[in-house]
Parts: sequence; structure tokens; C-alpha cells
Amino acid sequence: MNYSKADKKGILVIGIGNSGRSDDGLGWRFADMLAALETENVDIEYRYQLQVEDALLVSEYAVVIFADASQETLEKGFAIRPCMPGSNYYFSSHMQSAETVLYLAKELYQTKPKAYTLAIAGYDWELGTSLSKQAQQNLLLAFDHFANAFLSELQSMKVKG
Amino acid sequence: MNRKITIDPVTRVEGHGRVTIHLDEYGQVKDSFFHIVEFRGFERFIQGHPYWEAPVLVQRLCGICPVSHHLAAAKAIDQIVGIDPKDLSPTATKLRCLMHFGQIFQSHALHFFYLASPDLLFGVDAPAEKRNVVAVAEENRDLAVKGITMRKFGQEIIKAVAGKKIHGILAVPGGVHKTFTEKERDYFLDGKNIENIDTMIEWSLGMVDFMRDYHEKHRRFLDDFAQFPSGHMGMVNETGGLDMYDGKLRAIDSEGDRTLNDISTDLYQEYFSEAVAQWSYMKFPYLKKLGREKGWNRVGPLARMNICDYIPTPLAEKARQDFIAFTGKKVNNSTMYSHWARLIEVLHAAEVIKDLLHDDDLHGDDLVRKGMRRSKGIGIIEAPRGTLTHHYEVDEKGMITRCNLIVSTTHNNDAMNTAVKWVANNVISRKGHVTDSMLNQVEVAIRAYDPCLSCATQAMGKMPLKAELYNYKGELIDELLKG
Repeated sequence: MNYSKADKKGILVIGIGNSGRSDDGLGWRFADMLAALETENVDIEYRYQLQVEDALLVSEYAVVIFADASQETLEKGFAIRPCMPGSNYYFSSHMQSAETVLYLAKELYQTKPKAYTLAIAGYDWELGTSLSKQAQQNLLLAFDHFANAFLSELQSMKVKG
Repeated sequence: MNRKITIDPVTRVEGHGRVTIHLDEYGQVKDSFFHIVEFRGFERFIQGHPYWEAPVLVQRLCGICPVSHHLAAAKAIDQIVGIDPKDLSPTATKLRCLMHFGQIFQSHALHFFYLASPDLLFGVDAPAEKRNVVAVAEENRDLAVKGITMRKFGQEIIKAVAGKKIHGILAVPGGVHKTFTEKERDYFLDGKNIENIDTMIEWSLGMVDFMRDYHEKHRRFLDDFAQFPSGHMGMVNETGGLDMYDGKLRAIDSEGDRTLNDISTDLYQEYFSEAVAQWSYMKFPYLKKLGREKGWNRVGPLARMNICDYIPTPLAEKARQDFIAFTGKKVNNSTMYSHWARLIEVLHAAEVIKDLLHDDDLHGDDLVRKGMRRSKGIGIIEAPRGTLTHHYEVDEKGMITRCNLIVSTTHNNDAMNTAVKWVANNVISRKGHVTDSMLNQVEVAIRAYDPCLSCATQAMGKMPLKAELYNYKGELIDELLKG
């Protein structure tokens, strides 16, 4: 991997969710699976919710992926979309959108990492530590695409920090 | 026409609350309430669990102050294994203090920079889109960067001793499960990876100076806004100095006379009772001898400045002297001074952290001690938001049979309701209409107490806050919903 900006780290994947809430744990499960690959230049973090100070964290990376469960109906069971800075502010101190975190990184640290959201469709949000059958299938599809196609694309990119 | 205003959700607080304001036919405020509308019942469902699980389970009450619950529960559970605070090893006590002051540092930083600073920087009349940390980042980058860095420093301290920033574990019955390595210590001293503790002290001093200047410039508003007489309570050491980890309970009335004279925390039940109201899940603690109406106390930074004789670190003590001199050394009953008091505690926490990082006891290996089993344990600490009580009783098998939690925000229940009434009477009453700015001032008054409503009710889920205006017929005629 060749990042033009020497002081930037590589790829950050943030798994977001709560593994005690059934399919809300999709983001963490995805992060677990990716961590098991031990891919060079890929760091993994886990979050219940994104927070203001995550702006500092994402500012240190060239590429950031926000992996989270989604209530949307997704044709393939998952979706990877570019994520741009946006100043929509949530009222709580400890729950920010990915767009706001990127916006704060831009405002405070003058960095704009290439960012994506990875949404994986979930169905069951009740208390429990296992995924629903359909969510499990979506997770495997998302991981297969990410690990075998999307990640390679990112790795081959020469990201300009 | 009588009207009723509701603010639901109250924003930039931790948890979900709702404010209702009732007006009479002349537009004058008839009554107002700060409702807490979630309930989870931690005190009940922890029953039947073994005592050693308590310090781990109860920190799930909250994602903001889990450390405080972890340590208060640990102090109570220590007693169940026969260990009083004085019997804990120096290593265990100091590691717990390091975690505790890391928590105070990061929690206060979060409140000031993320939640309160928009009110102070942009004013209570600022448009809603400016009243958030994004606007602070846009207009005061230096302040926002310092806020994030200071919060991160406190969180890194917690992570170093407990393994995780949120819901980590340090305390075990009778001690701690790990020591602190010199490498871990150097991380906070050498400044190679993060800003070091000296920078944290320097920035904390700068923030105290900023706040003092702010008070000079806005004195009348800060003196008057939500000012009302009340009791104040906190913990002090044997010589009357502020003690945020372990001490005796002291309370004073609005004139400074003692209403609770440095009692052992084990005796809290003899002095306190808790009332309930139909319109809130949050209880109302009060001193029995003064009764329900007069016996309630404010807790937290402002109360602690009022009740202690000194702060046992030099820079924070100097700042406290300046603070009390500013108002003629009288008991300070002005809600908005909570922010200044909170920043003095940030400075105190930074000084304590520095002292601890230079203390070789942190690296000791005497981690856990054991004594004779008991059936009851009471742990009280000064959490960021105020006095926090955990009380457990266990059966002969060590299963919890009773749990009572009096959370800091619960002590401030009457104070927050009184503050809401002040705003309702002084800002909203007889104005003929209700503006967003007026409703924001209700929130400003609540926010000064940094309430953690999820802790106070042990609530869960998405927790915004709402305001409603009702007429004399009880009909909803205006509302503001946030979140």
C-alpha cells in the first residue's frame, strides 16, 4: 500500500453497534471477522456509538469504513456507500453520525479521509447475542465482497491524504 | 387562558427528560415540573446475583459514568469481604483513585466542551443551529481541540488501568486485579504519544482563567440566573478538605450552617430518606431531620466548593479561593457557577493524576486483601455529578438480597425542578408567547447540573427530552420536541 501522506495510517474499520441487541451486533461481527484476517494496514475499532472525539481518530487515517447494521431493505443484503462530511448534529453528547465525525475531522484537524459506510441489513433488535438467520447470511455476503473485492481496491489505491 | 408548555426532550443532557410548564389564564406560570420518564429497575434485577458481579453489572447503568458506579459498588463489595477503605492496600487504593480522577477529568471535560460551552460562547439566545459542539468547532477550533484532547487523556487513563475506556474492569472484591507498569505511566508523562499531564494541567488552568474572565463580563446574568437557596452536600476528609474518593458526608444550608456534620458514610440510612412523586421515576432524597421540603441538597461541583474547607492540591485550592472571594465568601447558590466549579475540579483532577503518576505505590504487587465476610456493604464516592451511594446486602451464600442506589442526579432532582421553576417564573411567565430562546433557558438551567438521567432512573434506550405548554383546561397548546 502506498499512501502519499507519510504520517497517515492506512485503513480504519469502525464496527458500530451492540452485540447484546441481536442484529445490532452486525457491525461488531463484521469487525471480528476482518480482525481475524490480520490484514496489514487495516486497524479495527469497536463502538456502541460514534462520539465527538472519534473525529481525532479518523483524522489519523487515509481511509475509514463505518460498518453498521441497517434497518433499510438492501437489495444485496448490504451496501457500501461513499460517506462525506456533513454538519448534522445530534442532540446527545455521545451519539454522532459518521458524516458529523468526518465534518469535525475536517474542521478541527484539516483532514478529509476517504470514507465509506458499510450497511448490513438486520431484522431483529431485541435483547440477545445471536444474529437472525437472514442477518447472518447478509453478514457473510458483505464480508465476502469486502474482503475479496472492495478491500483489494482500497489497498491498490494511492490515496491522497 | 391557562396554558402548559412542555420541553421534551431536554437536550445536551445525558438521558431523557421532559419539562411541563402550566400557565393560568393570565399567562402567569402556575406550576412546572421536570419529569424523568424512563425506568429500568437495576436495584431489582441485580437481586439474586452473586455480590462479586455487582461492580461489573452496575456500570452498565451508564456509558458516561460507568467508572463511578464500578468504584462505588467496589467500595461496598469490599466491605462484604471484610475490607474497609483503610484496609485496602496502598496500590489498590491509588489505582482506583487514578481511575476515579481520570473519570472526573474526562466527564467534566465532556460536559464543559461538548454540552455547556455553546450556551456560554453563543449565549442562551443563540439560534438552535448554533447551540452544539459543531458550531463550537467552527468558531473556536482551539477550544474544541483542547476539549477533545482532554477528554481523550482522561479516557486513556481509564483504559490504562481498566483495559477499556468504557465498561472496563479494575476493581475486584478487596482490591484490584492489576498493577500499573512503568511503561504505562511513561505514556502519560513523556508526551510522545499523547499530550502529557503537564499540558493537561496547563490547559485546565487556562480554562479556569477563561471562566473567571467570563464571570467578570457576565456577572449579573450568572449571579441571578436560577439562583435560589438550598442545602449543599459532599464528602470531606478528616480535616475538612475535599475528598472525592473516600471521606465523611457533610451538608450545609444556604447560609453555611452545618446540617450534616461529617458523618461516616456507613450511617447514611440514619440521616436520609427518599420521597417519590407520581410525575417522575426519579426519587427525591432528603435529610430526615429537616423534612421533605427543606431537607434536600444540591450535590456536584458547586456543592463541593461550598462545603469543603479546602482542596488538597495547590493550584485547585488557589482557584477555589478565587472562586469564593468572587462572591464575598458566602455560600454560592447561583446555578450557573456550577460551570466554574466544574473547571476547578478538572484542575484538581489533573493535579491528583500527576501526583499519582509519580507515586511508586502504583507499581506495587499487593493487590487484593481479604477479611471476615459481612452481610452488608455501603460504598459512597463523589462522582463527577455528585455524591453517589451504592448499598448492597447479601445472604449467607453471597447472593444479593437488597440493593439501594442513590445517584448524584437524584440528589439534584429538587434543585433541577427549582431551577426550572425559576426560569418559568422569571423568563416565561406573563410574556404572552413562548420562544425557542425561553425554552432553551429551561434547558440551560437543567444542563448546569450535568444530569445523567439514565443513571438516575437506570433507564435505557433512546432518551431525548421534550417541553409542553398547557392551558388552564389542561389542553396541550404548544410543544417543542428535540432528539
